[in-house]
Amino acid sequence: MKFRREILQALSGGSFRSGKELGDSLGISRSAVWKHVKALRQLGLDVYAVRGKGYRLSLPLELLDHQVIFSAIPVATRSLVSAIEVQLELESTSEYLVRKARGGALSGHICFAERQTAGRGRRGRVWISPLGGNLYFSILWRFPEGPQSLGGLGLAVGVGIARALQKSGLGDVELKWPNDIYWRGMKLGGVLLEMFGESAGPCGVVIGIGVNVRMPGGVGTAIGQPWVDLETAIGRAVSRNKLAAIVTHEVFSAVREFQLGGLGRFLAEWRDLDALAGKQVRLVTPSESLVGTAVGVDANGALLLRKGGQVRRYYSGDVSLRLVS
Amino acid sequence: MDIRKVKKLIELLEESDIDEIEIHEGEESIRISRHSQVAPPTLVHGPTAVLPISQSEPSRVELPTVGQGEVTTPSGHTVTAPMVGTFYRAPSPGTKPFVEVGQPVGVGDTLCIIEAMKMLNQIESDKDGIVTGILVENADPVEYGQPLFIVD
Repeated sequence: MKFRREILQALSGGSFRSGKELGDSLGISRSAVWKHVKALRQLGLDVYAVRGKGYRLSLPLELLDHQVIFSAIPVATRSLVSAIEVQLELESTSEYLVRKARGGALSGHICFAERQTAGRGRRGRVWISPLGGNLYFSILWRFPEGPQSLGGLGLAVGVGIARALQKSGLGDVELKWPNDIYWRGMKLGGVLLEMFGESAGPCGVVIGIGVNVRMPGGVGTAIGQPWVDLETAIGRAVSRNKLAAIVTHEVFSAVREFQLGGLGRFLAEWRDLDALAGKQVRLVTPSESLVGTAVGVDANGALLLRKGGQVRRYYSGDVSLRLVS
Repeated sequence: MDIRKVKKLIELLEESDIDEIEIHEGEESIRISRHSQVAPPTLVHGPTAVLPISQSEPSRVELPTVGQGEVTTPSGHTVTAPMVGTFYRAPSPGTKPFVEVGQPVGVGDTLCIIEAMKMLNQIESDKDGIVTGILVENADPVEYGQPLFIVD
């Protein structure tokens, strides 16, 4: 795994590197290099091999680097970061971090993966996570209080990510309840929070974040809904390390702000970003499926749905825009 | 700490635009926050307490039970829901439930997941013992404080 990452690093510039040169720099044989290149191809990477020239990637790739990310995080937030890990491949960054948290990892621990083999969405759904193009990471935060006071945290995190994207130059960012990141009706990112600990507190929350940055060709067809990546939306190349730093900073700031003032501080901004307000939507919960008009969120972050002149609130379920025929 | 001092601190906070103040004096410490982190959210999470609107949950009227007897006369320790949301007995659809009636559990073992607003809360046992009752059906909505399990 270590060699694979180093070979990937050497190839990331997009120019040819010979097998001998790679082998010499790592102290391994040319055939060992070839085996690692084969393994990288199996991870979904497009590596060319040309006789007499060596290997190169079809496109340059900016690998995530914990030092680059850390130094791009504003100083005020750096003090809240306890660790930054970058893994080449994990099943799921959140699953990994929940396990680390149970083993005593500190608040402010961040874990990125270049690829997830079992990236998690809500209730057993998969988050499509190919190598090298997007951002997949999780943040551990410990709270002195219990879960009952953290209900709206997910919406605050969504606002934090939206702020980061706006600061990166993206207009038309929207949030779909509770915290999916959308751009012009297409999914750009998502958040899933996992909480553990005692009912009365303290508890820990692992905030899992996925942002499509550059979805490799072909992979996106497996995504079961309209989607977009940031480079397409913004119309230029995006530095993943810089984006990782700014999203981290804005999410940390949002969590701090939430701790001090609760969801109330985010509601006006959330409502401005609401992708569904006033629209006909379908809500599917484990017990029912219904159609109504989305009329925003209440003070707790619950979805408000108007149906037959009555407004009801919902704490869970999948909401989607209903196509008006 | 002298109550007058506390009062003074509250006044100080009110006059300033600081959100939170924390004072340590020897072994005593006090934190005063404009936006209480515990009390108001607890209040607003009692779903019907604040807004007259509420999710319609017919299944909640009669507490659905697995072991009918335990509900009316619960003996043993009750594990309650720390938040409002949807109750799940398994980590994901199609997988084995975390616990079954009759199963021994220890402190810290996950009993279920409650999901609300894409936050998955793993509910842990706070007692060693045997699960003698599971009081909610999988995928049912639960309220804050609603009994979920009996551990005896």
